[in-house]
Amino acid sequence: MISKELEKAGLPVALISAMFPVAQQVRANRIVKGVSIPHPCGDPTLSKELDARLRREIIQTALRALEAEVTGPTVFSPAAAMGG
Amino acid sequence: MIKIVHVVNQFFAGLGGEEKAGLPVGVIEGSAGAARALEIKLGAEAKIVSTIYVGDNYFHEHKDDAVRAMLEAMRAVEPQILVAGPAFNSGRYGMTCVEVCNSIANELAIPCVTAMHEENPGVDAYREFANIRVYCLPTAETTAGMTDAMTRLALFAVRLAGGEDIASARQEGYIGRGIRRIEKTERSGAARAVEMLLKKIHDEPFASELPMEVWDDAPPAPPLAQAKDCNLAVVTTSGVVPWGNPDKFKTYRNTYWRKYNIAELKALEPGKWEAVHGGYNVAYMNQNPHYGVPLDALRALEAEGAIGPGKLYPAYYVIPGNQGSPTVMRRMGQGIAADLKNEGVEGVLFVAT
Repeated sequence: MISKELEKAGLPVALISAMFPVAQQVRANRIVKGVSIPHPCGDPTLSKELDARLRREIIQTALRALEAEVTGPTVFSPAAAMGG
Repeated sequence: MIKIVHVVNQFFAGLGGEEKAGLPVGVIEGSAGAARALEIKLGAEAKIVSTIYVGDNYFHEHKDDAVRAMLEAMRAVEPQILVAGPAFNSGRYGMTCVEVCNSIANELAIPCVTAMHEENPGVDAYREFANIRVYCLPTAETTAGMTDAMTRLALFAVRLAGGEDIASARQEGYIGRGIRRIEKTERSGAARAVEMLLKKIHDEPFASELPMEVWDDAPPAPPLAQAKDCNLAVVTTSGVVPWGNPDKFKTYRNTYWRKYNIAELKALEPGKWEAVHGGYNVAYMNQNPHYGVPLDALRALEAEGAIGPGKLYPAYYVIPGNQGSPTVMRRMGQGIAADLKNEGVEGVLFVAT
């Protein structure tokens, strides 16, 4: 809802959300898959290092989304940064 | 005999136009001015005992006083129902009607009905209040729809005051408030769902029992040529705020946003920040606020050049996004958008929970 008003004002928005089906439904345009609702930017079950790496990956994906030409709701998936 | 009080603006009370918009609250016994059209439609079972008028400007400039005066006037005559308007597409008048209905319904516990065009800003307020005792009927845009509006207001008012059951907005034709009501039906949810699904498969028309909010389609904003050359800002609905919640956000239905400075920070230290949000388990966010405001990753990318030096806006924007009404969220979105533009931000990283 808020992100759409920003887009209407001409600002590209990378929406990082674990609820990406909802984001698609409300027709957000640049959607980045978050990890889960209580922690979209990272995963507390990972080690500190991997968690930080995953978070960086998510933000990199968001930056890529901001540079992408899109015509409607598009989901961008961070490449899994989880080594195991 | 049903006793009705009718609230109108100075114009419909027959007292004058814009030059009289500063008139304070006044009471006329019986019906008055153009508002008499309502009395004519009422028939024998109901009567307008008094007409309360208020100037379009006066109401908005002295809201508390105006509502108090109206309450007093109404207590004196003890009506069973309040009718306000119709306001058609007049914005100030529409807002007055809705605010009066909401206050009176809450204070006197009587039903209230108003009417206006669906694009009147009063309709947004009406949906926001979602008051179970207040109904708003749609009208034409202009007074050309007067006869029709008065006829429907009169019918509706008599039914409401008579304690009749009012069905859903779709069945009755009033403007939906977004209130979900429990209804009994003969058939189970499973049977109804299968029936609906079959209709959908066969391309036949069907109506959902849980209509979704209609989302307007915003065309995508043009992309950034190079994110690293652009001013970026973080906006989040996660509810991450400085420890102690200095701006007293609630865990739900917030109506304002704030921004918090991160200019000098490399990371958000746990214990100095907390998440205020009633819609998810905030334990993870409290342990590591970066799950909502990923400052550590942003600084790392800044160091690598993926984000240009000084290009990250020195504060992040936050609104705990739980249970916000679409109207309020839209208004806050517009406020944040204006501020971002004003500050020269070109692209937004938006973390939603």
